[in-house]
Amino acid sequence: MDVYYFTEMPYAEFPESEAEKFPSMRLTFPNTYFDPRLASELFRRYLDEYQYAEEVGFDGLMINEHHNTPSCMDVEVNITGGILARITQRAKILMLGNLLPTTDNPVRLAEEIAMVDVISGGRLISGVVRGIGVENWATNTNPVYNRERFEECHDLLIKTWTTPGPFRWEGKHFHFRVINPWMVPIQKPHPPIWVPGTGSPETVEWAARHRYTYAAFLTPLDVAEDLFKLYHKHAEEVGYTPRPEHFAFMICCHVNDTDEKAQEEGRHFLWRMGHPLRGPQAYFAPPGYVSRVAALMASRRRPKPLNQLSYQELQDANHLIVGSPETVIKKLRYIKDRLGIGALLLEAQAGQMSHQTTMRSIELLGREVIPALKEL
Amino acid sequence: MADGYTDAFVEVAETKLRMLRGGQGEPLLILHGAGGNRGWLQYMQLLSQRFQVYVPDHPGFGKSDQPEWIASVPDLACFYLWALEDLGLSRLRVIGFSMGGWLAAEMAVMCPQLVERMVLVGAAGVKPTQGEITDIFLLSPAEMTAKMFYDTKQAPEYEQLYGAQPSPEEQDLLTRNREMAARITWKPYMHDPRLPSLLRRLRMPTLIVWGRQDAIVPVNCGELYHQNIRGSELVIMEQCGHVPQIEKPQEFVNIVSEFL
Repeated sequence: MDVYYFTEMPYAEFPESEAEKFPSMRLTFPNTYFDPRLASELFRRYLDEYQYAEEVGFDGLMINEHHNTPSCMDVEVNITGGILARITQRAKILMLGNLLPTTDNPVRLAEEIAMVDVISGGRLISGVVRGIGVENWATNTNPVYNRERFEECHDLLIKTWTTPGPFRWEGKHFHFRVINPWMVPIQKPHPPIWVPGTGSPETVEWAARHRYTYAAFLTPLDVAEDLFKLYHKHAEEVGYTPRPEHFAFMICCHVNDTDEKAQEEGRHFLWRMGHPLRGPQAYFAPPGYVSRVAALMASRRRPKPLNQLSYQELQDANHLIVGSPETVIKKLRYIKDRLGIGALLLEAQAGQMSHQTTMRSIELLGREVIPALKEL
Repeated sequence: MADGYTDAFVEVAETKLRMLRGGQGEPLLILHGAGGNRGWLQYMQLLSQRFQVYVPDHPGFGKSDQPEWIASVPDLACFYLWALEDLGLSRLRVIGFSMGGWLAAEMAVMCPQLVERMVLVGAAGVKPTQGEITDIFLLSPAEMTAKMFYDTKQAPEYEQLYGAQPSPEEQDLLTRNREMAARITWKPYMHDPRLPSLLRRLRMPTLIVWGRQDAIVPVNCGELYHQNIRGSELVIMEQCGHVPQIEKPQEFVNIVSEFL
């Protein structure tokens, strides 16, 4: 099982009380609270932490993308992907991922992703996402067409990477007359593709039919099991048996020298689970974004929304694993064995967790937890 | 049929369309807004005393089928030109509310000979030069309802329409309406940049009715319609919001009847 390090690279440098004045921290919380000079310092430390994660033994480094939110400063995965491609040597670079529906130019996107793969020497995993509801608003992409644009953009990406140019594409949403990029990926036929999900059955089916790794994000373990079972069902329909590398699982994790210290510092994850996850339904589920089936499954998968769970409840539900190396090893082993996953994605920095605390956690994860998880 | 109406499906433009119909006389087409067709309302009953009133669920809304090719309000206008042909209606009066007003204007600029007289009520479709059209998709249903009225207490049908929680079937229809409205009005939001120029073609008698306190589509849009449609008349109803036909149905009907 591979273990990945991840942070959303948050900008948490403002009083939480300010965010409380607005319906959500996402979308409409004014960007007047953003200081680019502070952000510059934050980027330096976050990127140092990624480098260190590779140094201590993480198999991969994961980055994601969001818009209109202080919870994630990474507004372009291909930029940070490119940076990591140059400042690291060995680790896989998991971009999870590019927002396919919100791009108006899949060909340019194909070029950008290819460029990251080339600069990295072929270490890229190209994750593709539909984006949460908020991203449709931020980019003014019609949510009614989100899934269609996702699928057509994906198809055009694959074709651009694998078909010799020049060629044309006249689709429903995208139209190009001379596709012939002088930038194609090193990895053939193209970098591996992963797809994250929190419960939409359509996404699971799509991933399975394409044989892409499906990464369950912060779902309860029983829901992750159901989603993986659904993946198996669709995989068998198209004629293959999935292996562990077809499944990944993302959780939050903090390790410290003692359980007590870890419990204290782990509370920084409450920032990440709180304001960024609350907001009007219209922000997260604009019209047509969620199918009625998916909406029903969503209400089943979480009897209580994440942002309403207490610190202890988050740990009991295995959304947040906090403790000394020994404690964390036991819990992560349980998750690994129960889910049979090929990759564990650990969000190991959040909110205002300091650089020092983050580095210590990365060190303990790399030097003690990961080797223990890899023991047969 | 003077005191009642029928609720049936018609097959027009290769589409199954739900249609309320009542009254006798010259045909009058009523085009609902983004929220959907709320049923046979008081103002329709009053108007049906003089006209044969047609109230369809637009394709993709309510119980009507959804042709895949309809992706914009001008597309919806094309649909209706075809549908009216199938219904044998070659010339008629049209009232359009909100997004339905935008629709009526698009139909009129495409086929002026179809529209004998036109009433636009709180019509979307033009970008205001002062203020903004409220982003209805950012509002919850409750917020939307609150914004639509100046004073809900003066709306005789308010409780009947908004007083109770929708049943699951009603909620499903409301969701469907919202999705179809998003499909056709998303970008540019709630307006057609071409429309002000095309309106200048129109010569049919046109009445533009607006609630002074319309908090969804600013009165400024009514003024823009009035400036660009030659010979049009603009009537502003005081102490009234975005839905004068529901908030002040009798006053609304008085104004519109006299014009029609």
